[in-house]
Amino acid sequence: MKKKVLSVLLTSAMVMSMAACGSTDAATDTTAATDTTATTDTTVQADTTETEPAVVSELTDGKFAETRHITVEVYDRGNDGGSDPTNNMYTEYIKKGMLEDHNVEVEFVAVPRWTEVDEINNLLAAGTAPDICVTYSYPTIQTYAGMGGVLDMKDYVKDYESELTHLWSWLGEANIYWDQDINDGTLWAIEGKRANPRRILTFIRQDWLDALNLKAPTTKAEFYDTICAFRDNADTLLGKDAKKMVPFSVSYDVGWRAALLIESEISPSITDKEYYVNGFDDRKLTENGTKEAIRTLNKWYNEGLLWKDFALYGSGDATEDDMMKAGYVGAFQHNWDYPFRNGDDSIQANLKRLVGDNAKYVAVDCFENSAGQTLKFGISEAGDRKIFFPSTNDEPLASMLYLDWISDPEHIEYLQKGDEGVTHNVLPDGAIEIIAAEGDAIMNSGQNIDYTITCNGLHFSDDALTSLSMAHSYAGVDPADVETAIKLSMTNPRYEKNVKVAPISAEDGMGEALSSKRDVVYDTALAASADAFDATWDSAIADYLSSGGQAIIDERTSAWEAVYGSSESLPE
Amino acid sequence: MSAKEKKVKAPKQKVNWKVYIKRYWQLYALLLLPMVYLLIFKYIPMKYILIAFKKYSIVKPIGEMPWAANHGMQYFIQAFSNNDFKNALRNTVVLNLLDLVIGFPIPIIFALILNELPFRKFKKTVQTIAYMPHFLSWVIIYGLAIQLFTPTNGLINMFIERMGGEAIHFLDDPVKWVGTYIFLGVWQSFGWNSIVYLAAIAGISPELYEAASVDGANRFEKMWHITLPGIRGTIVTLLVMALGNILGSGFDRPFALQNNLVMKYAEVISTFVYKHGIKGLQFSLTTAVGLFQSVVGVFFLLFANWLARKLGERGIW
Repeated sequence: MKKKVLSVLLTSAMVMSMAACGSTDAATDTTAATDTTATTDTTVQADTTETEPAVVSELTDGKFAETRHITVEVYDRGNDGGSDPTNNMYTEYIKKGMLEDHNVEVEFVAVPRWTEVDEINNLLAAGTAPDICVTYSYPTIQTYAGMGGVLDMKDYVKDYESELTHLWSWLGEANIYWDQDINDGTLWAIEGKRANPRRILTFIRQDWLDALNLKAPTTKAEFYDTICAFRDNADTLLGKDAKKMVPFSVSYDVGWRAALLIESEISPSITDKEYYVNGFDDRKLTENGTKEAIRTLNKWYNEGLLWKDFALYGSGDATEDDMMKAGYVGAFQHNWDYPFRNGDDSIQANLKRLVGDNAKYVAVDCFENSAGQTLKFGISEAGDRKIFFPSTNDEPLASMLYLDWISDPEHIEYLQKGDEGVTHNVLPDGAIEIIAAEGDAIMNSGQNIDYTITCNGLHFSDDALTSLSMAHSYAGVDPADVETAIKLSMTNPRYEKNVKVAPISAEDGMGEALSSKRDVVYDTALAASADAFDATWDSAIADYLSSGGQAIIDERTSAWEAVYGSSESLPE
Repeated sequence: MSAKEKKVKAPKQKVNWKVYIKRYWQLYALLLLPMVYLLIFKYIPMKYILIAFKKYSIVKPIGEMPWAANHGMQYFIQAFSNNDFKNALRNTVVLNLLDLVIGFPIPIIFALILNELPFRKFKKTVQTIAYMPHFLSWVIIYGLAIQLFTPTNGLINMFIERMGGEAIHFLDDPVKWVGTYIFLGVWQSFGWNSIVYLAAIAGISPELYEAASVDGANRFEKMWHITLPGIRGTIVTLLVMALGNILGSGFDRPFALQNNLVMKYAEVISTFVYKHGIKGLQFSLTTAVGLFQSVVGVFFLLFANWLARKLGERGIW
């Protein structure tokens, strides 16, 4: 009888745990929220001090009386044999400099580069985001700003202007106010500057061209013939590995990895308005010629010119890079300096080691549009990383000083070239040649851009030296190859213009949902059978539009019309 | 049964529950620990279910967040007008049902076969090998799957091509992907899930088998008339629990195995919640989805339990 009561209790405990099991998903959804609400109290306190006008007086000679502490985000690229991104020669340099110049202690927080948005989301939601955050995704910032999770930088850049000379002179009004809200003047983020606004290029195996007695392609048609020739001569080029050949490699991120092909199908007469209205997706999914470009890719895919397994490897997976390094890939499109990055571990260096001395990728420029121009879209000094302060930042002044410090051309120069004999040599003509470094001195990112958050691209204090050194800034890479890439990546640039309209509320929270959907559209259409291409593309696009894409296009149209009226182009 | 119940009932009216507590307080004290755990980690966080009905903000406490439109139902309406959600709901149910239909009987069959094995050492070895995949994370299993199943370099496909066949898109053709998904799931868990059946089989009295042997029953008849009925209660209990989870799904398995080409069939509720909630910052929407999932799960559980009792089993309470 006692047993009965006990078993009732035990079973009721079990029932409760069952019910609880059923609701774990709801519970886990909210755990992130739990954490944040716990930290909100401290956050709100931080806000209260933000608009005191006389804050600058906290500083004597640019220094705080008491040591302040700030945390700064730094990307962790997970490079093989790289240095610890939060503790190496360069972080020491920054920490020491900030402490001496401003009496501010700096602590770095590593965020994985390839999942940066997820990670920043988690950190923000948990209230533990670094004081200075960096991301490529403005929608993320905007969404958190909408929830009150981001500090408005408008007053800081203005009130502290006298302390921020380097920042102002480097970024200028254009980049600082790029993202300012035209209605209420709020400024959630400032745009880092591209010292080198180059974007994307096509690379092709020079040694394969030579082996087959082919000239570098200069048109789309020639490019197609070239990759066909690679495929047809796989036995000659790769011998027993012939089956592993990928004549033209495109990853799951088709919109980026075939960007030049996609952009070559965009009508040359596209207006600023049309370009902007369809511009939410940075992979140009809804621009006017994209479908035709993907039709071409689909044809290539079905002809065995592309990588069959492309969709199985996600973001940040190194399989494709490894294939390039091993010499199986004939051509690809990527960042304009992609094969040169990472010193000893660069694609170019590996190729040389694994395949042979003459094996290398060279840049070609062969995706012409209907007007015969090889346009390079999206060339802009803005549009790089965006810097913002989460509302948990209680050291806005110290953080602004950090941005100023890191924008000082001398500091940028040191971070980009390091020490002589360790990370660079000085050539007879004075040019700086970057050499492969070891241990603590390894730069995890090209030119250390992960530390120079306001600057992407080579930028020495002397402009002449910069251009002289550019071709020498990739350790172990033939400067002539870099020079070709430098030249070809800026033929026919189409500069990105800043469209200043009200924030688009339909974009709130849609960034991730739509960009993953965009990849699904691209990938499924690319891999469809030729006769199913139209149906696949049309239904996938319809799904994209009905899931929020159309709402954004419509709101962008009306936002444009509210500011620029019936004009189709931006005022000069 | 009924006689026994009467016996229990009679003294129950006399003895106060406090007596039990006093007499068995050590046992109740032991029970307290899990109760506290449940309270802190399962019940108190439930107040955040409110997020489903409010406009979420990371900086405001839950009480101060404004109510969502449409009497707080905005996000439920939004979820059910969202094609992706409907799609994820369908996939979750279909994949879980397939898992149930295919994956549920296999551990039982495995346990029965294992039980019939006369060689102890061999039995133990087989058992250990069968358990092992359970300890692999899904990320590793996906890594294995890539090595085995990719169209160009997968071992199986290379073999098929050597034999003159054509590569099969196990991982990037939606229908075949479903097959791979179910297969990998079963492979990973059947050994582990058979443990509980083996335990139940071990609990069957050997006398029953002896008696059956005397009566001239063969092996198969013993299995059918003694072993299976002997573990019927266990089977039903596990089935009830599996049914309660029909809308739930682990996160790692679909997330690790899915790719863009199969997303149409591979997106399930848990990955939808991750994508739109954690990555897309739509916390209110995804809390609404999670809540819906849990409520439906509870109904399934209640229904399955009711069914079990109808069928004359004990159910889970």
